[in-house]
Amino acid sequence: MKIDIHGKALILHRPHATTEAIVRQLTQVGIPAECAWPDLPQGLAAADLGVMFFDADMGHDEQFPWAAGAAPMPSIALIGSEAPGRVAWAIRRGADAHLLKPIAGGGVFSALLIAGEAFARRQTLTTEVEALKRRLGLRESLAEATAILMLNDELNAADAYKSLRRRAMEQRVSIEDMAARVILQAGVASGHGRA
Amino acid sequence: LDQRVVPIGVLFSRSGPYETLGRDGYLGATTAICEINDRNPYGVTLRAEARDPAGSIESYAPLCRDIVHAGARFIVGCTTSWSRKEVVPVLERSGAQLWYPCPYEGFEGNDHVVYVGACPNQHILPLLDYVLPRYGREPMLVGSNYIWGWETSRIAREVIERAGGTIKAERFVPLGDSDIDHIIDEVRVKRPDFVLNTLIGLSSRAFVEAYFGLGLLDPDFAAARRPIISCNWTENEIAALGPKAEGHLSVAPYFESLATVENARFLATARTTLPEPQRFSAFFVQAYAAVHMIARGVSAVGAQDPEALLAHASTETYGAPFGPLRIDAATNHAILVPRIARAGRDGVFEVVSGDERSIVPDPYLVKPPAQASAQRGSHLRVVK
Repeated sequence: MKIDIHGKALILHRPHATTEAIVRQLTQVGIPAECAWPDLPQGLAAADLGVMFFDADMGHDEQFPWAAGAAPMPSIALIGSEAPGRVAWAIRRGADAHLLKPIAGGGVFSALLIAGEAFARRQTLTTEVEALKRRLGLRESLAEATAILMLNDELNAADAYKSLRRRAMEQRVSIEDMAARVILQAGVASGHGRA
Repeated sequence: LDQRVVPIGVLFSRSGPYETLGRDGYLGATTAICEINDRNPYGVTLRAEARDPAGSIESYAPLCRDIVHAGARFIVGCTTSWSRKEVVPVLERSGAQLWYPCPYEGFEGNDHVVYVGACPNQHILPLLDYVLPRYGREPMLVGSNYIWGWETSRIAREVIERAGGTIKAERFVPLGDSDIDHIIDEVRVKRPDFVLNTLIGLSSRAFVEAYFGLGLLDPDFAAARRPIISCNWTENEIAALGPKAEGHLSVAPYFESLATVENARFLATARTTLPEPQRFSAFFVQAYAAVHMIARGVSAVGAQDPEALLAHASTETYGAPFGPLRIDAATNHAILVPRIARAGRDGVFEVVSGDERSIVPDPYLVKPPAQASAQRGSHLRVVK
């Protein structure tokens, strides 16, 4: 298993033995690190960051330019107090992994592996969910297009759907996109412009 | 001939933002050390290794290391959770044991720490149990922007909302900030049934003073009607406020006014040991009790062995000024009797809760509360 981290590490924590321990461990696995507190570094490009460590004890929402749970890189919460209010905040920020303070000689490597994997899974899921949501939204137009074909071509439901699928294959588009075309044409034909 | 010298670390901030509480801890520990060396009740002599971080968080770990290098295996110290967490790596590396003598917000159970103060099921839960049936279920929560305030308020919100109440507002102010007029304005408008105060030091003082001013303008905000309640309010803090503190409520295992034989004996000793007259708080007495348990334990175990000493403290009860004291072996926290008390105008709290029940510590709040707050109160005197 390899570390799935591409870019440097940002450690958002006040200067402390904890940050020194993390930097030392990151150096060993070949990830350059930068520390900042309480504000993110000036002119920071989120795209340059491969991973972010953030303090769950003193952290607050205003430190981050992105919405809660939408960190554009793997993030690892540094937890000192296990008080549920603080843990809940780290969860809300979308921590992909966590490390319990105090941090000494270990823990960073496995946290990087877990956070990298969790972030990749989160990205894949987000992409898939977006595609599924889009297709779900097109389901309505699928029904509408089938109904149009039933009326226009005097077909039963099953045959109308087959017809729609055949047209999609012929024109090499998805069935959802074909449905949108059928609806558009029907609108033009009947004189009702559709968006 | 048998007389062993046992070094004991004393690590409290005697200046800085929470100096009143830190000084109580320091004086409690050193008073016990003087007393034990004078009277020799355990056949051991103690040597205080006292260090003062002066409220600077960066100083705790180095000074703790210093104490360990001076030979101490036992340390009584820390007031804030932040400082306690700072010394944990030193304890883990050296095997030393910290006796932490203050109330805190819970959710911890370190092998190297003995928690002598109350955790939430011994402070905020019994306090709400007392207050909700008497004053109502629509409070305001006001605290310092720090884990103590966040977490105590969060637990209070959970309990109150579960009991069908609502939180009228929840406000936090920066640590050390005494500019709280905007909060008093909000109190005036929202008329909460009571105010849970988790402010620290100067902020707390400024708030209580301003609340008193509000009560003078409008008797609807008198302490007897809409009290301020707190889980860490001490005798020395109310003494400094005089009549302005009168009538508000606090919860702790110890108050100076406790009428027990052990307390009378303790007060007589402490008053002769201390150079200046002062009030005695739970922060003082818990540090005092910690030193006694350490000295007694070293004597019984016959070695400066933290693990054996903890085992001893969890089986052999110590007669503390606030009653029998034992450490719960499962959690390293003290089994305590919480008392609710009303502040007087002279720096003395009057205990108002009737029942004297020992409460086993539940630092992660995983056990169901012994009693639901809603089931109490009908047969009790209502002070509203």
